[in-house]
Amino acid sequence: MIRMKNVVEIKNLTKKFGDLKAVNNISLSIKEGELFGLLGPNGSGKTTTVKLLTGQIKPTKGNAKVLGINVLKNPIKSRELVGIIPEQETPPSFLTAEEYLQFVAKIRNLNNLEDICNKWFEFLEFEDEKEVLCKDLSRGTRQKLMFAQAFLHQPKLAFIDEPLINLDPIIQRKVKDYLNDFVKNSGTIFFCTHVLEIAEEICTRVGILDKGKLICKVSIKDLKKKRQHLEDFFLKSVKKD
Amino acid sequence: MFEILKNMIKEEWRIHSSLFGSFMFALFPIMIAVIAFIGSLFLPIFQFILPVKQILLFVHYLFVLFGLSIGSFGLFGKEVMNRRFGQASMIAYSSRSLPVSERKIFFNFFIKDIIYYFILWILPFVVGLALASPFLSLSLIYSISLLLTLTLSFLIGLSIAFFLSTIYAHSSKLLIGILVLFAILGLFTASYLSIDLLMLLPSLSFFFMPSLSQLVLSLLLIITPSTLSLIFLKIDYPKKERKFKNSLVFLSKTLKFGKYSNFISKDFLDLNRSEGGLGKIIFSLLFPIAVVWLLLALFLKFVPIINVLVIFSMFLGVISSSIYNWLTQYDLFTSYSFLPVKVSDVMKSKTISYILINLIPLVILILVALGTNQSIYFLPALFSFLTLSSYTLSITILLTGLHPNILLYNAKIFLEYLFSIIPILLILIFLSLLNPFFLILSPILILLSFHFIKKSYIKWDKWEQPSF
Repeated sequence: MIRMKNVVEIKNLTKKFGDLKAVNNISLSIKEGELFGLLGPNGSGKTTTVKLLTGQIKPTKGNAKVLGINVLKNPIKSRELVGIIPEQETPPSFLTAEEYLQFVAKIRNLNNLEDICNKWFEFLEFEDEKEVLCKDLSRGTRQKLMFAQAFLHQPKLAFIDEPLINLDPIIQRKVKDYLNDFVKNSGTIFFCTHVLEIAEEICTRVGILDKGKLICKVSIKDLKKKRQHLEDFFLKSVKKD
Repeated sequence: MFEILKNMIKEEWRIHSSLFGSFMFALFPIMIAVIAFIGSLFLPIFQFILPVKQILLFVHYLFVLFGLSIGSFGLFGKEVMNRRFGQASMIAYSSRSLPVSERKIFFNFFIKDIIYYFILWILPFVVGLALASPFLSLSLIYSISLLLTLTLSFLIGLSIAFFLSTIYAHSSKLLIGILVLFAILGLFTASYLSIDLLMLLPSLSFFFMPSLSQLVLSLLLIITPSTLSLIFLKIDYPKKERKFKNSLVFLSKTLKFGKYSNFISKDFLDLNRSEGGLGKIIFSLLFPIAVVWLLLALFLKFVPIINVLVIFSMFLGVISSSIYNWLTQYDLFTSYSFLPVKVSDVMKSKTISYILINLIPLVILILVALGTNQSIYFLPALFSFLTLSSYTLSITILLTGLHPNILLYNAKIFLEYLFSIIPILLILIFLSLLNPFFLILSPILILLSFHFIKKSYIKWDKWEQPSF
């Protein structure tokens, strides 16, 4: 049996905002090739966890390693290697979609900017909007743009926060297939969502976060074996059934 | 009616207090009062240099200018607010989702601005003066009438700016035409401009000689433009898509600043493509510079030992630091926080953009020096401009990082800002009085500016970026 290495290792991660413990003593490991879904009600701490794991904010306590890099000590290096889709799509307003992708590509020191970017415009079907200012793009197109920027440099690990919510069903299918292929080719996805149907469809394992605490972890295969739906499992876990 | 107004005031308070705490924001008017109090205590000294009449003229025009600048935020501020808070979250945009007319909302917005800035600036300013009155042997009536006339001056500026913003909403070309016409008129009549002519401002005339006609004239100057603004109000929620050919790569290749070229190019595209284009910087820079030049030229006639060009260069240096505020208007660090980018990378690129755009005030200084036959004083003027421009920038960056437009409303930071800049400005003015050529030594301060800028990069890299 091939032993997969851990690409995300979290130990006692805690983040306090004043008196509020947004993330409360989380410990978790994610292996290469996993599509891990972090689920939870609104305000449960999913986005804060992603921000901690990508070095965008500093933990109050605990530590995290991503692709072997200590995020607290070297946040820039970790962000060089991973791809991130933030919760709120915020491409700079006055660049066009094409300029924004090339802007990100230059930050990531990529060559053949035009080719790389065109590939994504074609794949996500928004070539016609590449000259439109980001601020004038629809929510769906902005989400496509944010998806493209996260995978532009072909990362081994991506943190994606609600990446499908504004996409039409055709593009959603394409994106889900892309994510499945990505993990089959030894990529790893850390996927935050509260859309349980999508999580059940594409994730290999899920963790449920409630009031900042990681209350349980389960593999989707095990749930299926028990003929249990993720929704029932989720509601039972957060005691909302 | 009052419900909208009440909630708009609440909203404005909460926007500011959520950024740096209710206490620090509440301290802001107190701080203005303290500064006005201390400044008023120096009035007897100022009177040696300038007659009281001219100090009052200066203060009244300052409030007209203040009203203009607050109102002009309506011209360009929409994009900034949208970026920062999102349209849907502001009551000003609620006519899209609630059965309230845009005209009603605009009217409430106008009244809210008046109440808000009256409480935040005008009232504390006059309270500061009133508190100093016993030490200056001034009667309380003096402060009360000043409160009225400064409010009128502010409202005149505000109403004119709202009117101009309404013209802009209908036709930007018409607005540019009107401004050019005024500029040409100003050029032709500049030589006829005198203190007596400036005294015609009705709110100022009312202060010196209270009469019903001056009060009515002031009110007409406020009510007419604001009523016209309301009648011809046009608020767009543009849905049109603006398209542009890719300019980023070309600009990045042209500007050879290594890894910062990308960001600097973005800065220029932001400024150029946002409402008003690059013209808004030039306008917001040229307008106060023109006013400062005009006032200095008028007032310093009475003080022959002061060199107008040198003093002008100092004010030019301080005013030009506002370029940095523009450069940070359209950017949020949250747009970069998920990329391998440090806060200091963005700050460094903004500093380079600042230096590049600072060529505009430099050209202005050269033109003024040539135009006024004062080339002999150009060198000290140039040095004091460069010194103050870099020093003010370094203080701004050190105290506010990428958020000067927000953090300068924090009372503590604003005080630190003032106390870091004003003493240096006064020392340089004093040196210029002794001998303008002493200012050739002023670039020593540029070294200090470098130190501050370096220190600020370390400071802001450590700071957890809020999502203002």
